Amino acid sequence: MNSSEKVLIKGNYAIAQAAVNAGCQCYFGYPITPQTEIGEYLSGKMQELKRGYVCAESELAAINMVIGAVSTGVKAMTSSSSCAVSLMQEALSYAASDELPVVLVNVMRAGPGLGYIYPAQGDYNQAVYGGGNGDYKIIVLAPSTVQECIDYTYRAFYLAHKYRNPVILLADGLLGQMMEPASFGEYPYPEIDNSSWALTGAKNRASRAIYSCARDEKKQIEHIKNLFKKFDLISQNETSWEEFKTEDADIILTAFGSMTRNIKAAMNVLREKGIKAGCFRPITLSPFPNNRIEELAKEGKDFIVVEMNMGQMFKDVKYAINGAAKAELINRPCGEWLSVEDIVSSVEKFMEKNYAASI
Amino acid sequence: MEKNFILAGFGGQGILLAGTILANAFMLDEKNVTWYPCYGAEMRGGTVNCEVVVSDTEVSSVHKRECDYALVLNQQSFDRFVKIVKSGGTIIANSTLVAEANPRADIEYVFAPMGKLANDLGTSKVTNVVSLGVLSSVVDMISKDALKLAIEKVLGAKKKDLLPLNMKALEAGADLTAKV
Repeated sequence: MNSSEKVLIKGNYAIAQAAVNAGCQCYFGYPITPQTEIGEYLSGKMQELKRGYVCAESELAAINMVIGAVSTGVKAMTSSSSCAVSLMQEALSYAASDELPVVLVNVMRAGPGLGYIYPAQGDYNQAVYGGGNGDYKIIVLAPSTVQECIDYTYRAFYLAHKYRNPVILLADGLLGQMMEPASFGEYPYPEIDNSSWALTGAKNRASRAIYSCARDEKKQIEHIKNLFKKFDLISQNETSWEEFKTEDADIILTAFGSMTRNIKAAMNVLREKGIKAGCFRPITLSPFPNNRIEELAKEGKDFIVVEMNMGQMFKDVKYAINGAAKAELINRPCGEWLSVEDIVSSVEKFMEKNYAASI
Repeated sequence: MEKNFILAGFGGQGILLAGTILANAFMLDEKNVTWYPCYGAEMRGGTVNCEVVVSDTEVSSVHKRECDYALVLNQQSFDRFVKIVKSGGTIIANSTLVAEANPRADIEYVFAPMGKLANDLGTSKVTNVVSLGVLSSVVDMISKDALKLAIEKVLGAKKKDLLPLNMKALEAGADLTAKV
C-alpha cells in the first residue's frame, strides 16, 4: 500500500500503515477501544518487516519504551485512547524536557475517568496544555478525514524529529473506526540527521547522555527558555489551518478534527439560507493559529465554536479573538456527533439574538 | 448530493461486510464515500449496523440522525430503523425474518425473502450479498457492475473460490425485486 492507488481503509489501519511508510521502527502499545486496530495491524506488519513490536504490560510501560527507542534516534510510536493516554502524561513531560521525538496517537473516546468507548473530543486540553508537570509544549495535529490520518501521521514523524519534540496525533473514535477511500503515496518528508544527539553507543566518540533536567538553577532556567524558544520557532514555521469562504463571512464556524466535516456541511446549508457563514479549522491545535483568528475577528467576524466537549477549544478561540468579536459555543460532551441540523439551528438562534435588526 | 444508507441485522449475517462491499462499489464508481460501523455494546447484544454515506462532493458527517435508505435483515433492526428513515425514504427488509408491516405512511417499503433465497442457493451465509442485489435494483445510484467488482476486491485472491456463489447471490437478489 505504498502508492497513489485509492483503497477503502479504516482510520486506525491508515494510521498504522502510514507509520510503517514513515519508517517507524518500533511500536509499543496496549490495546484499548477505539484504537486497538493500530496495534493489531502492526503486530503482524512489524514482525513481517523485522521491525520492533511489543504489546506492553501497560500504557505507562509502552510510552517509556518509546522514550527508550527514540533516544537512539530511531522513529517509534505508541497509540492509545483517552483514559489510557492519561497514564502517559508523566512520560510526555519527560520526553518534552528530554527533547525526544516521541509520536503518540490518541484516538479519543469519552471521559472523564474510564468514560466509555463512544467518540468524543474531550482531550483537547490534555493534549494542548499537557497533563504532565512543568513548562512544556507538545505539537498537536488534528485530522478530520482518513486521508488526513495518513498525511498527518507522516507529518507527526517529520515534525517530531525535525524539532526533537513530542507530537500527538489527536484523532477520535469516529475517525479511527470509519473507512474512506485514501491513498498512501510515499512518505513526503526528508530524513532528519540525528547523529549529533542520538545515543548510539560511544565507540569512536565521546560519551553523551540525555537528562530531563539540569541540576543547576541557571542552567535549568536556560533549558526551559530554550524549550520555549524552540516552540516559538515551531509556531512560526508550522502553524497550519484551513479556512473556507471566510472572506465575505459574517460568522465563522470553527471546529477541529472530525467535527470539521459537520461545520463545512452546516456552512453550505446556512449559505443556502442566506446567512454568510464561513469555516475555520485549526490543523495544528498546538501551536494554535491565534494570529489568523485575531485578524478575522478584527474584520468584525463572529465565531461559533462547535466541539464534542464542554468547550475546551472555545477558550482558545476566545483568547485569540481577544474581545474583538463575539464567540459562542455549540457543543455536546460525547456520543452521537452534533448533526448538521443541530448546528444550523443553533447558528440561526445566535443570528436572531445578535443580528435581529439586520435579518 | 449526499445519501446515506443504514445496513442492520444480527451479528453474523455479514452486515459490516455488506457495508464494506457497498462502500467499495461507490469508491469504484468514483464517488466520495464513508463507512462507519457500530462498535459499541450493541455488537455484543446481537444486532449490528453500519452506515454508508455517499456524496458527489466531500462526505460531511457520518452518524446522521436520519437515513435515506435502511436495509434491514432482522425484525429488531426493522423496528429500530424504520423510525429514522427520512420522509420519502425507503426501507428494504428481509421478509424471511421481518414481518411485513407499514407503520409509517410517508416512506416506501420493499419486502423481499432474502434469507429464503440464500438458503435456496445453498447457504444462508450469502443473505448479505442477496440483500445487496435487492438494494441495487431498488436504488438507482448503486450499480450492479460496481458491486460485482467490489465483491471481487473484498473477497480477494484468498477467497476466490467463493466468487461464483456470491455472483449468483447478487444476480438472484437483483432479480428478486425486479419481480416484486
